[in-house]
Amino acid sequence: MDNIYLPYLAKIEEIRDEAPDVRSFKLVFEDPALRDSFEFKTGQFGLYSAFGLGESTFCIASSPTRKGYIQCTFRRTGRVTGGLAQLSVGDTMGFRGPYGNWFPVDDWKGKDIVFIAGGICLPTVRSVIWNVLDRRQHFGNITIVYGARTVADLVYKDELKGWDERSDITPSRPWTPARDPGMEGQGRVRADRIGRGRAFCEEHGGRDLHISKFVLNSLLKLGFDEGSVYT
Amino acid sequence: MNPARLSGRMKTVSMADRTLKKEDLGKLIDSVRAKGGRFVAPALLARQVVFRSVKSAEEVATGYILARNSFKEFLFPQTEVIAEFSMNKDSVGLKGVEVDAPETVVFGARPCEAASLKGLRTLFTWDFVDEFYTKREDKTVVITVGCTSGDEACFCTTVDLSPESTEGADVYLRETEDNGYTVKGLTEKGKKFLDTHDAVFTSGAAKERPLFKPETVPAVDLKRVSERLKDRAHYDDPVWAKLTMKCIGCGACTFVCPTCRCFDITDEGTAFEGERRKNWDSCQYDAFTLHASGHNPREHQPQRWRNRFMCKFNFYPEKFSSKGCVGCGRCIRVCPVRLDITEVMQEFSK
Amino acid sequence: MENILRQKAKELLSSGEVKVVIGYGWNRAKTRTTPVFITDAADTDQLVWNPLCVNNLSVYLTRKFKDIQALGKPAIVAKGCDIRNIAVLISEAQIKREDVYIIGMACQGVVYKQELWQGELKPNIMPTKCHNCDVRDPHLSDFVAGEKADFTPPEEPVGMVFDKIRDLDSKSPSERWAFWVKEFSRCIKCYACRQVCSLCYCERCITEKNMPQWIETSAHPRGNLSWNLIRAMHLTGRCTFCGECERACPVNIPLNLVNQKMIMVVKDAFDFKSGYDEKAHPPMIVFSPDDKENFIK
Repeated sequence: MDNIYLPYLAKIEEIRDEAPDVRSFKLVFEDPALRDSFEFKTGQFGLYSAFGLGESTFCIASSPTRKGYIQCTFRRTGRVTGGLAQLSVGDTMGFRGPYGNWFPVDDWKGKDIVFIAGGICLPTVRSVIWNVLDRRQHFGNITIVYGARTVADLVYKDELKGWDERSDITPSRPWTPARDPGMEGQGRVRADRIGRGRAFCEEHGGRDLHISKFVLNSLLKLGFDEGSVYT
Repeated sequence: MNPARLSGRMKTVSMADRTLKKEDLGKLIDSVRAKGGRFVAPALLARQVVFRSVKSAEEVATGYILARNSFKEFLFPQTEVIAEFSMNKDSVGLKGVEVDAPETVVFGARPCEAASLKGLRTLFTWDFVDEFYTKREDKTVVITVGCTSGDEACFCTTVDLSPESTEGADVYLRETEDNGYTVKGLTEKGKKFLDTHDAVFTSGAAKERPLFKPETVPAVDLKRVSERLKDRAHYDDPVWAKLTMKCIGCGACTFVCPTCRCFDITDEGTAFEGERRKNWDSCQYDAFTLHASGHNPREHQPQRWRNRFMCKFNFYPEKFSSKGCVGCGRCIRVCPVRLDITEVMQEFSK
Repeated sequence: MENILRQKAKELLSSGEVKVVIGYGWNRAKTRTTPVFITDAADTDQLVWNPLCVNNLSVYLTRKFKDIQALGKPAIVAKGCDIRNIAVLISEAQIKREDVYIIGMACQGVVYKQELWQGELKPNIMPTKCHNCDVRDPHLSDFVAGEKADFTPPEEPVGMVFDKIRDLDSKSPSERWAFWVKEFSRCIKCYACRQVCSLCYCERCITEKNMPQWIETSAHPRGNLSWNLIRAMHLTGRCTFCGECERACPVNIPLNLVNQKMIMVVKDAFDFKSGYDEKAHPPMIVFSPDDKENFIK
């Protein structure tokens, strides 16, 4: 019988602590055939099992351009994520998916792209970012606008640094509200490099990024048409 | 009782190709059970008529309007194990569970509730095929009996169904004056069933009892309801609170509803072994949409009620081109505060 | 009496003393009563009073109904039995006495379930609580509508619930266990019992707490038994036997038996009956130096 609820088993190959209570797993399927055949589209999600506690939904944070493994990033909040947080390298957990919608990355070829994410939302966007960066030559200017409530809450700190150092990306420096001491002004981005991305930052200056409704309004004001905004 | 709503009587139309005598119902049950099948019929349990697996004709209720519950629980059980797992130091053992799908006859369902099957099927085969549902439905023969009585909660005619509707049924029966039935095979599955148990049936004419057809709820226009729901401007309309503020947020309406089909997946067991279950859930519970962050997009009960109404009259028809509401009236009957969905239909017909 | 009620409601809304009157109205076909929330003095004719007014409307005073609380100070149409729940809510600091206007309804009894009504209130369609009612003249009210009832409850409680409890008490523990396992096995976990109960006002019910999972949420016999037993324990010493949970139960679990049995246990152990004195705390939620501790050996 084809049991659509039966998860795949996956081993945790690597664990990275991203922020307080936020953790990333690199997962490798136990079934070698599946490692090769597993396919997903960027932006899709899965259900992650901590056996005995249940399953919980979050995105696949890695890019489909990276084969052989998937990554996920989650915040410890409830019963299942609490259970996942107790697992160690080498432990087995469950995954079923991929499910849901995806970003039509191939439609963006030749275009300039501004990525906007806040806090724990970066994992979804990260999948898209790496998908684009791994095929960098197909896309125009790339701007990454990312912020979190506090510096500590920024995820993928190493990768942010890497993006900051790349000459082919216009990053906004990690963006946190002014209430986080020592971070005043960090939301400003290098004005000469990003065109409308810069304008977005000024329009949006100092406000939280985490409510997509507000971000969308700012973008519309700047003349982005609704059809070119993907969420 | 409102006599105006109960006065509708339909003319008797004979379309049967077999008859089932009252005293032969037991033989039919025996014949089904002898082949290893289960026979589900309305029967008394705790002072009310509900669908149950029965062993004899004596258990089968008569004179009922319709069973308190829907027969969906025999296709989509309230709780079922979908996987088993065991954990030890280095590994996890995981085993999928085979669906328990016995040959099943659902006898004595009403034409309204049988019409729910199309929507359930579409949902459970939408993108992914849920064999826990489809394998059971494939093995189920649904035998409906045209209604000869009803109550004020019945409103099938308001959603374009009637006691003569055959949608979702494999075999359609009509009660006869001598307490038997005329029998009409509708689908291939139904006809095959009748052939298989042919010895139980008789032929010949029988006088059918008149059907009970509820009058339509006044001032309801389904097209208008659908149109108004399409425009999401109604989302924040205070009319939702006005109509549904009394809702206490239990799940009784969703659990007896033949088209409601939301479920949750949950693990149970010890630290070493356990099972994963698929359990009915209800959009009327406040935790149904509660996010991990603490945010709840449907924080107020009227919003949850709005969702249920939208599901019946917008999502189901738009997405699946099937009926989200079959007018059985179960939600009205079980509601502890007597919230009547037809009153909301009236409001949105304006 | 209906007119007195409507008049009073009109006065209260017109003067602004209350912002909403929580009462009973008719459904469309005028065959069943249903809760109504009247905010406009012009709408007070929607209020009705008759033996079909079974709902215990005090549930709408709890924090489960934030939309209703947002309307402003309520007046509530309440039978004596409903007022007992309001008294418990006050004693448990869920509501302040001055924050609700109680319109007490002198009562001759109501039907057990509205479906039973055939135009006349006969004893055989009344719930056990009505046969033993000592609050037909409502207590704790700001205003009483109707005449003093000519009714004295029997010395020894009568009715089906008490008969069945006596019957169960005469059985062995294993027979009783078998009885309850069977009754609870029908539970469909719809939580109508909890939602209709004004004393189940927790914002997060224990059955929704899952770290750890105290109660298995599946509607299998094990999960059903733990849910129903835990709910019974959480109501012990607090339940007023209003009967709403049994009335709301779609699968006819005899919850009145459980709750009345616990009431009898509490009466024997603490000489306490809930819902009469809004200043008295239910025994299971207070510690008193005089508590009998004879169970500690």
